[in-house]
Amino acid sequence: MRFPAIIAKSLTVSARCLRVASLSAAPLFMPLSMGAAHAADAPLHIGYSDWPGWVAMQVAIDKGWFKDAGVDVKFEWFDYSASMDAYSAGKIDADLVTNGDALVMGGNGAKSVMIMLTDYSNGNDIIVGKAGTKGLKDLKGKKVGIEVGLVEHLLLIDGLTKAKMKETDVTLVNAKTNETPQVLASGDVAAAGAWQPVAGQAMKGAPGAHPLYTSAQAPGLIYDVLAVSPTSLNARKADWAKVLTVWDKTVAYIDDPKTQPDAVKIMAAKSGVPPEEYVKYLKGTKLLSVADARKVMVDKDGLGSLYGSSRNADAFNVKNSVYKTAQDVKSYIDPSLTNGK
Amino acid sequence: MTALPDTAYHHQSDAVQARFARIKARDVALRVQGLGKVFRTPKGGETIALRGIDIETHRREFLCVVGPSGCGKSTFVRILAGLETASSGTVFVDGQPVNGPGADRGMVFQGYTLFPWLSVLRNVMFGLEENGESRRTAAREAREWLSLVGLEFFADSYPHQLSGGMKQRVAIARALATRPRILLMDEPFSALDAQSRARMQAYLIEIWKKIDITIVFITHDLDEAVFLADRILVLSAHPGEIAELIEVPVSRPRSQGQMLEREFRATRARLDALIHPPDDEDDVKPAAIKPSIVTRLVAHGDEVE
Amino acid sequence: MGGIASSTPTEAPRPPIADAFGMSPMRRKRRSWFGVPKPLGRRNALSLTILSFILPLLAWSAVSYVPFLWHPLIQVSDPGAVDYLQPGMRVDRETFATEVAAAKEAGTAPPQGIPSNPVYLPAPHEVAAAFWTAITTRPTFGDAIPLPQSLWHSIQIIFWGFTISSILGVPLGVFCGTSPVFARIVEPFIEFVRYMPAPAFGALMVAILGIYDGPKIAIIIIGTFFQQVLVIANTTRRVDGMLIEAALTLGARNLRLVRRVIVPAVLPQLYRDQRILLGWAWTYLIVAELIGTSSGITFFITQQARYQHFENVYAAILIIGIVGSATDIVLALIGRRLFPWAKEEA
Repeated sequence: MRFPAIIAKSLTVSARCLRVASLSAAPLFMPLSMGAAHAADAPLHIGYSDWPGWVAMQVAIDKGWFKDAGVDVKFEWFDYSASMDAYSAGKIDADLVTNGDALVMGGNGAKSVMIMLTDYSNGNDIIVGKAGTKGLKDLKGKKVGIEVGLVEHLLLIDGLTKAKMKETDVTLVNAKTNETPQVLASGDVAAAGAWQPVAGQAMKGAPGAHPLYTSAQAPGLIYDVLAVSPTSLNARKADWAKVLTVWDKTVAYIDDPKTQPDAVKIMAAKSGVPPEEYVKYLKGTKLLSVADARKVMVDKDGLGSLYGSSRNADAFNVKNSVYKTAQDVKSYIDPSLTNGK
Repeated sequence: MTALPDTAYHHQSDAVQARFARIKARDVALRVQGLGKVFRTPKGGETIALRGIDIETHRREFLCVVGPSGCGKSTFVRILAGLETASSGTVFVDGQPVNGPGADRGMVFQGYTLFPWLSVLRNVMFGLEENGESRRTAAREAREWLSLVGLEFFADSYPHQLSGGMKQRVAIARALATRPRILLMDEPFSALDAQSRARMQAYLIEIWKKIDITIVFITHDLDEAVFLADRILVLSAHPGEIAELIEVPVSRPRSQGQMLEREFRATRARLDALIHPPDDEDDVKPAAIKPSIVTRLVAHGDEVE
Repeated sequence: MGGIASSTPTEAPRPPIADAFGMSPMRRKRRSWFGVPKPLGRRNALSLTILSFILPLLAWSAVSYVPFLWHPLIQVSDPGAVDYLQPGMRVDRETFATEVAAAKEAGTAPPQGIPSNPVYLPAPHEVAAAFWTAITTRPTFGDAIPLPQSLWHSIQIIFWGFTISSILGVPLGVFCGTSPVFARIVEPFIEFVRYMPAPAFGALMVAILGIYDGPKIAIIIIGTFFQQVLVIANTTRRVDGMLIEAALTLGARNLRLVRRVIVPAVLPQLYRDQRILLGWAWTYLIVAELIGTSSGITFFITQQARYQHFENVYAAILIIGIVGSATDIVLALIGRRLFPWAKEEA
């Protein structure tokens, strides 16, 4: 297993605990603050944060491609959880988030529509087994250290289902993700779930520990999306369509081996790390062009579809009391722009 | 008390008698009637600090108040100043009952209470400005008061640049500037060294002679009391009551040399007897000569006394 | 101790019977390091100050450069035949030893490495290099903000947060300190609120004040204000009562008393309180800068920590330390000029 992969992921996920509390107050203030940002001539305010699939936008920003495409956008650089606070408070028109978090914001009052996919997690969330465990099947009747309610929990359930097991076949030990290296090293648990780089540390700390199941085996468990406020989408649909065009151009530029070094340089500068280091992080992320996204934006079950993935996340969120009532996933997804309509 | 044979302090020369007659002929400046003060202790008990104090002082009289520690002399002067309320009784200044601090009574405290952020001049101006004088008038008057206490050249200095005695002279000027009827002084010189204290006593008398002021002066220094006072109010402790009101038979003008005079010594002896009764003293027995680890023996012929 | 038995006629003259009981005068000089503090000489004070920085630096250097001090990990330079090891990876000493032993037993190439500290403790020279890079390098791309500008942004946040907090908090504190009635009305509620964690108001502040500097300044205010009122009130209560009494006998009353006596009397201490409170304001900066759009020096710290670039983290912390103490020294010097009568306080 490659060590430090995507550290930014830690933020994406760790934000979840804080969010539920902070969002609940936000809708109260929405009527006060909504509206100003939706004037037809105002720039579209989009929140983005430190995750390779979203930092990719920096390439388009620096190159001036949005201007070239004739759309006035203003990207606001946030800490991930702060970006969701800002969206929930109605201070920005759109935010780059995971599909699960789009549901969480909506479930707590700040509805959004996912109009575009940026990427999906590709191997950075890992269930680490200690030496001697060969697969998830070996965990039957054993203890697994996991932070209940977070992405690794979702990943474990997904893996167990694939291995034809039930969640009750293992005993969950609730442990902070950052502490899983110590939990695994202590020998009290047979496996632990963590994201990178914590997972890497866990494997280093317990000799012989190795990945049992990773998000690479469950592509689509978490999608990263552009979630737009319904009001703004309704009023400025043509402008949002232009954003998609620019994104397509950006993905092509980053994926092209000829231009990739230049793109990485821009992205690395934004994240504050050397370019050679940033390449590693980029590898852990599968960027999705509009054509790629079209295949995912089809309503069917399973993680291959944004619908299926979101329903899965919705069920998980309800079960773990992130919000109370199941969300109508269909109303959260508008594939029309991705489909070019 | 009666065991004391020396009643010589009762004897007054003709000049002194005439002086007391003159004082008593003046108006009563301060009248204290049935004054009492009870403090409540935190546990719910009561401590009687002062009980049944009755006294009258006349205009331009110099009254000293002495007594053993705990006799309530500080409480007494604080009540006069209006900084504390009496539990019973009334204080009249020029016939008017006192209620809270007021410009008719100036006060000089034991500690240095000059405002450290103000220059000497501004300190003296403070009371004048608080009583509605314009800054210009206040400054002019303050300079006069400063020259009265001999500090006109220090007007622009700051308190921390002055010696203890100078600070108290400024404090006196500050208290006098608002033209009070009575100057209350609560052990004002006790923090000073012996020389400065003697000098300050002389200064105070000079000031007192020049202006129309009645002084109530608290002290624990008995020589100081005899040296300064026309009359000395002696308080007893627990509860604080009047033990005696002594008319000081020492003639005026006063000088340090009078401390050897018969009247001075007699008055001083009477005060000693009132404040430190003989049976109150600790019996000091010669230490038993016994080898001990803390005794450092000295050779024969090496004694110091 | 020398007694009679040890004394001989040839000894120097001494007090005749001093040792009759086997005692000798206690002449051994014992220096006391503690006691009522006496001012140190200027030179001594300066060299001790320098020493107070040199000592931790020496300790840090020792732990970083002396291989047998701490160094709980082995940084792998060559993984040998162990499949999960990689160059640059840091492993427990025990794990490493186990792997070396296992490799020897199996006859495969043993891994190689050098003792190292956790990534959280970079060596002084690494931090020094990062410090230099941080303050000199201009970013080459787009809207990336160089560190000095980030710092300047942070300083502005602190300045406005602290200023607004002070404009409200200092007068309120002074009134609480001078009027028991006022204090009873205000202080219990403030005592209650001050236990609420300022960061928890972040999302609310964003909703009210937008995504830029407003909510950040608000967090600094929330973090500072409540403490400030209580601290200033307590300081005001400790005003020298004699000065107030003196002022009362001179005719000062109510607001004039507050303005002309109480405030000037506590001003040196109040100034010192403000210096301490300013330090507290800095501690709220790290939360403040995670709210709304990302900016400032503590966001730089957060981001670099996320990527485990701890030399950058320490460099930034160092910069904050330098800015903080420089401010404090300047304020102390100003204070000494403003309040010459209260040197030890200001």
